[in-house]
Amino acid sequence: MLSIDNLHVSVEGKSILNGINLDVKAGEVHAIMGPNGSGKSTLSSAIAGNESYEIDNGNILFKGENIVELAPEERAHRGIFLSFQYPIEIPGITVTNFIKTSINSNLKARGEKEMSASVMLKKIREKAELLDIDSKFLSRSLNEGFSGGEKKRNEIFQMAMLEPSLSILDETDSGLDIDALKIVANGVNKLKNKNNAVIVITHYQRLLDYIIPDYVHVLHDGKIVKSGDKQLAHELEEKGYDWIK
Amino acid sequence: MAYTEEELKKELETQEYAYGFVTDIEADTFPKGLNENIVRAISERKEEPNWMTEWRLSAYRAWEKMEEPNWANVKYTKPDFQKISYYSAPKSKDKYESLDEVDPELLKTFDKLGISIDEQKKLAGVAVDIVVDSVSVATTFKKTLSEKGIIFCSISEAIREHPELVKKYIGTVIPPKDNFYSALNSAVFSDGSFCYIPKGVKCPMELSTYFRINQAGTGQFERTLVIADKESYVSYLEGCTAPSRDENQLHAAVVELIALDDAEIKYSTVQNWFPGNKNGKGGVYNFVTKRGICHKNSKISWTQVETGSAVTWKYPSCILKGDNSIGEFYSIAVTNNYQQADTGTKMIHIGKNTKSTIISKGISAGKSQNSYRGLVQVNSKAENARNFSQCDSLLMGNKCGAHTFPYIEAKNNSAMVEHEASTSKIGEDQIFYCNQRGIDTEKAIALIVNGFSKEVLNKLPMEFAVEAQKLLEISLEGSVG
Amino acid sequence: MQLSEKLISSFLAFELDTDINSPIHGIRTNAIKKFEELGFPSRKLENWKYTSLNRVIKEDYTVFSKKKNVLDFKNVKDYFIDNIESYKIVIVDGFFDPFLSQTSHDGLDICIMSAALNKPKYSKIIKKYFNKTANSEDSLTSLNTAFSKEGAYIHVPKNTVLEKPVEIIHFATGNEAALMLQPRNLVVVEENSEVEIIESHQSLTDNPVFTNSVTEIFSEKNSKIDYYKIQNDVVTSSLIDNTYISQKRDSDVKVHTFSFGGKLIRNNLNFFQNDEAINSTMKGVTIIDYDQFVDHHTLVHHANPNCESHQDYKGIYSGKSTGVFNGKIIVDKIAQKTNAFQQNNNILLDDKSTINSKPQLEIFADDVKCSHGCTIGQLDQDALFYLRARGIPKKEAKALLTYAFANNVLESVKIPELKYKVKKIIAKKLGVSLGFDL
Repeated sequence: MLSIDNLHVSVEGKSILNGINLDVKAGEVHAIMGPNGSGKSTLSSAIAGNESYEIDNGNILFKGENIVELAPEERAHRGIFLSFQYPIEIPGITVTNFIKTSINSNLKARGEKEMSASVMLKKIREKAELLDIDSKFLSRSLNEGFSGGEKKRNEIFQMAMLEPSLSILDETDSGLDIDALKIVANGVNKLKNKNNAVIVITHYQRLLDYIIPDYVHVLHDGKIVKSGDKQLAHELEEKGYDWIK
Repeated sequence: MAYTEEELKKELETQEYAYGFVTDIEADTFPKGLNENIVRAISERKEEPNWMTEWRLSAYRAWEKMEEPNWANVKYTKPDFQKISYYSAPKSKDKYESLDEVDPELLKTFDKLGISIDEQKKLAGVAVDIVVDSVSVATTFKKTLSEKGIIFCSISEAIREHPELVKKYIGTVIPPKDNFYSALNSAVFSDGSFCYIPKGVKCPMELSTYFRINQAGTGQFERTLVIADKESYVSYLEGCTAPSRDENQLHAAVVELIALDDAEIKYSTVQNWFPGNKNGKGGVYNFVTKRGICHKNSKISWTQVETGSAVTWKYPSCILKGDNSIGEFYSIAVTNNYQQADTGTKMIHIGKNTKSTIISKGISAGKSQNSYRGLVQVNSKAENARNFSQCDSLLMGNKCGAHTFPYIEAKNNSAMVEHEASTSKIGEDQIFYCNQRGIDTEKAIALIVNGFSKEVLNKLPMEFAVEAQKLLEISLEGSVG
Repeated sequence: MQLSEKLISSFLAFELDTDINSPIHGIRTNAIKKFEELGFPSRKLENWKYTSLNRVIKEDYTVFSKKKNVLDFKNVKDYFIDNIESYKIVIVDGFFDPFLSQTSHDGLDICIMSAALNKPKYSKIIKKYFNKTANSEDSLTSLNTAFSKEGAYIHVPKNTVLEKPVEIIHFATGNEAALMLQPRNLVVVEENSEVEIIESHQSLTDNPVFTNSVTEIFSEKNSKIDYYKIQNDVVTSSLIDNTYISQKRDSDVKVHTFSFGGKLIRNNLNFFQNDEAINSTMKGVTIIDYDQFVDHHTLVHHANPNCESHQDYKGIYSGKSTGVFNGKIIVDKIAQKTNAFQQNNNILLDDKSTINSKPQLEIFADDVKCSHGCTIGQLDQDALFYLRARGIPKKEAKALLTYAFANNVLESVKIPELKYKVKKIIAKKLGVSLGFDL
């Protein structure tokens, strides 16, 4: 599904990623771990197409297509979803209105018909329940005044609504208490199937207790320095990141 | 805000909207130019009583001596008042008894305007008075209203049928000599709407007027008078459109609201006069005087969405004369291309315990200039007056301007006045977030602008709010580089 | 004869008396023509909408005093800052007082305008700066320019940090039944230099005094200027203070205006940001009573990117007094990343007091942060209750809260002795006497 080949990325002239190679197939869960400043968030931003991140070299193939030159919304239309580490506040726009606009934009881009109000309503209700989201929450302004946990839950709610092929969860566990973490992880697990894939980006191992990865990669100084199965995450937790340096 | 499924559903529905056509209706148009004879002729054509003719003439004489104001932050070529035709009516015999008699062309116009009268009758329960080129052509729902004693008709009809009410109230809130354009309007107004809600009556439906300038080379000078008697309530909607034309058309309306003791008037406007083309050619000059007076415990609430006109000059105001009265002003003004808007409000606190709220959202794009101008005045007897004002500006691009000119005058030490203003732009991170969710940049901007304007949009009746949202989007089309 | 006519007809005599060959003769002549054209401003002008000069200009002022008066330091000691070393420029009835003054030419020039205008060694600076930032289209500024003769002249060369502040005091001794004064100050602070200036106007009798002052300040690259204006004059004195500040890259200029007394005070404070990374600060506290009138007009013109401006004005009005605040921020198209902040808070203490506030923004650039706020209100009732519940009587509690309201503007005053003096004046004005140190 996703194939990253020798990816070099820089921000404001400073190179952050120095040759990333990564292959993610449908049905897989990959975890990317690494210390602060190792380039984890840069990787997710580069895949999603944030224009502040300059791709100096390498390719990102998504479903066989090179997406490096695509606009962020075009990548989204193709099924890439990024759960932001710091979700953006947009005052005055309700969660409902935002998700409606998003879904219909995606459908339209794919040449499909817009979703009718009643179908959307049903879906919103169903997914809100899945993530234990109160209906009052849906009428609030997008992320404005949300707690850290509410923001992250809202990201996963959007993921549930959009049903992407590839979801990148950027530090989704930060700012969550254990109960919220369980709800979020549970949501992700329910959405997972053999046709989609998930990349979990995290500093700590604790989220991986709930979202079990098939592969774990360790990022250091802009490179994947070690790959393995979920056992690797446990080792990291015990020995710390100094171990892999 | 409670959020019912019904509301949720409504929010999820979208509507289409389209304008910019000329309707081919035969019109009866006066020769261009203005003098006492034209004023007399208008009055005669409308079969007005003598006192009305005299009233018009005295306004005309005052206007002759007045000068066009130039304090507003707008630049335009002053209209040549002798090159305008002051009367243009769709040619037809008499007043229509029912909609069936209305020229089918005209009905098509209404369809294009998005106001299918039939449908509104059935679904929304909105009574509509339609004014094309200053003449009222159809008033729906009259019967239902008259059962409650509500008078909703054209002002010409009101002058004929209810002279005592018109005579008592017309020009009491906005004297003919108030300003250059109110004097002009008082002299030449050809029609408009009149509404009277009797004591204790809550008007069961939204009352609505649609204004359209159709004929080329005409000005529109309509006059609206709304009287809410003691303990009554009315919500009034006003929509405006004009076809695309190269020359500048003049619109100089006067709206007077009278809220007697314990009454409430909600007045909403969606103004979409032709703004001129991309190069600033053509468009409507919208020079409007709107003012309401609040008696004891009454409330007047102005809501406006201003997206049209080449030049707008408009300050819907409240005179809070009665104790405990309330004035509100909610405004969204969008300017794009070469549009100029100088709009705001005046809240004059005279009575005790009077309250006013001003929320103004200005959005400037293209090469436009958008100004907020407002006055909050607390007179020395206005004990415990309260005002809260918030003026936010959003700039899109670097060729437009956003200006804020608030005047705050307090002469009473128990007054509490708060004014806040801010200027911002749309954040790149907000756009990226929307992009990531698959929303393209243009749509993302529309969404963010909608959010920015939410506090005001929320004040509009639901049918209008959807239309207004669409309008905002259309107005800002092509404003992203 | 009306004051404006009197001034115009006195111009020739003034020029003959001063120096017809002065290098600024041409500037003066043009300026009087401008004033002749415009006259005193009337309320028909938008900038004078709330302020009428009629009650000030109706007096029969002597437009230049001929008599020189000598003051004894011990009689005027209170008007200087206590316990502080400072340079002093003292002008009495329009004439320089060498005995009370303490000027300097030691690597810099802290002296008087008449010398700067007449002596060749200053001509380069005068040519470069005099009347270069003052608005020559403004009638009152032009009037001052026409009669400019005396005032403070401060020139701080490169890389010089003044170790003590400069005090400028204008006294009026009551020699004349009514006196008009037109001091003209020029302050030039060169690259990397720093200076602190404290200016005040003081009438010593109840004879009417009308001062129309113009100060031009040039803040060159990376310079710092702190300018404090103490306006605590008697109720028969009026002051129009026109200050023009031109700033260069990385400079930081702060002006504090303390308006506590006088009949009518009008401050026209104008900042022009002529390069990037400039910081401009305006702060003001106004506390007036009776039928006093104080008007603050500020203008900040952001003409370049990455600059900041901060305005914070507090007003407390008692009796029949009236306050005006008119703040204007202009952000030009190229002035991206401007950060402009303006706040005006007012308390009306009596039912005859009035405040008119007009905070304006004119913005032509999109990537800016600009905000303004204005409030008119009373003291916080909850806070008042809290203080009273702690045993503080109502009157003192009110005074204390009012004091607190004004006090936070003083935080940025850098000279402790000055801060103490201002706090003392505020406490006295508000009738606060507390056992602890203010």
